[in-house]
This record gives sequence, structure tokens and C-alpha cells, in this order.
Amino acid sequence: MDLGMDKLTNLLLEMGELSQQSVAAAMDAYKAGRSAQEVNRWSNKLKQLDDQVSELAIELIARFQPVASDLRYIKASLEISYGFYRYGRYAHDIVEVLETFGDLTKCEHTLVEPTAEKTKEMIKLSVEAFAKQDVELAKKITAMDDYVDNAYRDYIKKLMKSRHVDLRCALSETLILRYLERIADHAVYIGNSVIFIVKGEEPAYAEKN
Amino acid sequence: MNVEKREDPGMSEQERQRAPTDEFAMNTTGSMDVAPKLQSEGLRAFFGKNEALHGIDFSIRPNKVTAIIGPSGCGKSTFLRCLNRMHELTPGAKASGQVLLDGGNIYAPKIDPVLVRRRIGMVFQKPNPFPTMDIYDNVAAGLKLTGMKKGKNLDDIVKNSLQQASLWDEVKDELHKPGTSISGGQQQRLCIARTIAMQPEVILMDEPCSALDPIATSKVEELMVQLKGTYTVVVVTHNMQQAARVADFTAFFYLGKLIESGPTASLFEKPREELTERYLTGRFG
Repeated sequence: MDLGMDKLTNLLLEMGELSQQSVAAAMDAYKAGRSAQEVNRWSNKLKQLDDQVSELAIELIARFQPVASDLRYIKASLEISYGFYRYGRYAHDIVEVLETFGDLTKCEHTLVEPTAEKTKEMIKLSVEAFAKQDVELAKKITAMDDYVDNAYRDYIKKLMKSRHVDLRCALSETLILRYLERIADHAVYIGNSVIFIVKGEEPAYAEKN
Repeated sequence: MNVEKREDPGMSEQERQRAPTDEFAMNTTGSMDVAPKLQSEGLRAFFGKNEALHGIDFSIRPNKVTAIIGPSGCGKSTFLRCLNRMHELTPGAKASGQVLLDGGNIYAPKIDPVLVRRRIGMVFQKPNPFPTMDIYDNVAAGLKLTGMKKGKNLDDIVKNSLQQASLWDEVKDELHKPGTSISGGQQQRLCIARTIAMQPEVILMDEPCSALDPIATSKVEELMVQLKGTYTVVVVTHNMQQAARVADFTAFFYLGKLIESGPTASLFEKPREELTERYLTGRFG
């Protein structure tokens, strides 16, 4: 059982690192006005790892019928693995935006870049909170979520009031901000899963949003 | 595959009507919202000078399955045997403190332990049908000892007990075969029928499936869940998954002490005590 749990942890740590790398690479490509094909490869790899986590979790449940903290860890590992996979998938979506719209360096980056920085910080915290099983780090993620939510919402409101917009910039930034907002939500879910592992209960649903 | 909403087969229509709409939700707090059926207060048990139970305070809810778990030698079987005064049958064994059945102390002076054992029946680890008796007489034996004569009344009780033990359909055409001629799993259900025939209020089960194969185990587990509609069931088990499957409440014993008890789901998912956590996850010692 312990060997299986160690394997589960190692898979999740690998996913955490790869997903962090994927989002960072996608946003670097956005800033530099180029594509990042490697992100698509990493996203596929994350999907495979997520499948491996699911299979291993089911196997551990079937073979060892875990209870107490082991059961909580396995349940949470499914959510955490899915979260890491989604980080990678949204990084892939951002790269697709870059491929569709081309070089976006001429667009105003004043909102996307700080939002991306905040989101990357949330991702880093989620990986760290999981690795250290640290409830305090996990709680910090939730506190940062409003920033990313508001950035997306405010940008939409600003666009709706604008008379003249550069459609290419407006569409690409809306999509990227939306993906960042979704990544941030998954960071919150991962943080909540860490809290569940350690304390046995997740924060109330209202606190997530 | 078609998936349809299925009713709980373990409950009769009458039981379904009186059951709470969300039994699991009701159980999550673990607080005693009904009068306990059985309650131990400061229960201590001894084998000679050796103290096996160190003052157990524990309440058992009516019409629920309560599981007692813990490592070998933790006192769980001793506790069970104190609940119907069987402990004192062991030479040199004695108990002190109180065990209340519906509020009345079964250890009070003038209480006849034989009558206590009629109200609180017991099923043992190894199926133990009376070897010289047929299936019918195994079920009827206790009643015959109380003076009940052969006749339709007795036939009805035997049939009803075998039905409640989910054995009737398998043995109805061979009631006069020896009780030991049927399979181990059937023999254990026969012993449960024998206990039921005495119309107890509580059924104690001491590792009732440890000598059975998985299929027979599954039948006895289903039976436990069905029986709680009529009786209060207390089961001692080494098999934690069995406790997780059948029990509404679970208590964890260690070194003669009750470490923790509560609704089974919360005890197995989020034990309060470190000792329970270590036992459940197999990281003990």
C-alpha cells in the first residue's frame, strides 16, 4: 500500500512540475510573440499522467480498501491530478490562441501580464501546498482568486463599453484571460483538496468562489 | 446497462415508512438522539487479577448495527460477552460497573442472567449447531427448553426464524436433516435462526464470518443489515472492511479501552484519534 501511495505522490509531483512549466511556457510565448509547440506535447503527457493517477487510485482502492487519511489522500489525488491536467490543457489552449491570432505583441498587455503572473503564483502555491501538505499555503490560493476573476470580468466590461476595439487583440485577450481565470479556479480546487487531505474537510463551497 | 433507482431490499414497507429520509445525514454527527438500547457505564472486566476492560462507557443505538473493532487482545470480545453476562461463565472471570438494557442494569442483584441472555442473544465465531439435532430441532431447541411443546406455534416460530435468517428457502424441504449436514455458511445462518427463535431484542455476533468463505460472508453481512430492522445488532469483527460495509456505528478498542466511536463513515474517513488512524491505515506499532 505504501509503495502505491508513494507512486501516486511521485506521479502528482511530476504533473505539478510539468503543468507549471506548461503555463509558464505558454505565457512566455505570448509575451515574445511566438508559438510554443512543446506545450501541446506536455499537455498530452499530462493527460496520460492523469489517466495513470486514476488507474492507480482505483487499483489502490480495489486492492487495499484504504480508509482514513489514505482514503482521503486517494480521493484528493483524483481532484489534484485533474487540476494539474487542466493547467496543461489551458496552457495548450493559450498556445492555440497564439497560433490562431499570430503575433500579439502589439496588443496592450497591461492586464494579461499581471494576471498571468498572479495565476502562475497560484499554480506555484498549489504545487507547493500539495508537496508540503501545507494548509496555510493552500488558503493563500483562495485569497488570490478574486484578483484573477476580477481581471477577466473587468476586461469584458471594458470591452462592452468600448466603441472602437482591435478585434484581434480583444478576442485573444478575452480568451487568454478566460483560460487564466479557469486555471486559477483549478488552483483553488487543488488547494481545497490539500486542506481536505490534512483536515478531513474542505472549506465551505461559498469560500471557493 | 440500465441503471434504475432501487429500493433498499433490507427494509420492509413498514420499516421504510418509519425510516428517516436521509439516514446517512442523520448519522453524521454521532450524537445520541435516541435512548440507547444498551449502555455500559464504567464497565470493567477481569480474568483473575488481570483487568481486560478498563471502565468502558459506551452507548449502543436501537435498531442499528454497531461494530466493535480493534487488534487481538484489545478486549472487544470480552466487552461483547459482558453485554449479556456470558463473561462471568469463564472460570475466574468477573465484571464490575453497569450494563443497562433499556435503562435497567443487567448486573443488578436478583437479575437472572439466563433471562438476560434470552433478551440478548449471541452468535459465535464458529458455527455451532447442536450436532445430534436436525435443522428443525436446532432452531426449536431453546424454546423447547422453556417448555414449549411441538405444534403449530413452534412450527411457525421455526419457519419464521429460518425466514428471518434467510435460510428457509434453502432448507424448507430438508428440515429433518442433521444441522451439521449443511454448508458452513448455512450452519452460521442456522445459528442466527436459533438465536432469533428466542425472540431476543439484541443480537451479539462475535466474528460471525471469520470461518466463512466470501459468498457465505456476504450472505451473513446482508442478513445483519436486514436484522437491524427488528433487532439491535452488535458485531465484533477483525475485518475492518466488514465493519465499514455493515455497521452504522463503529467503536475502536485498544488495550481494554474504548479509544473512539462514531458513525462508521466518519470514523473510517476522518478518525479523531491518532491511534485509530494508525490502526485503520495499518501503521500500527
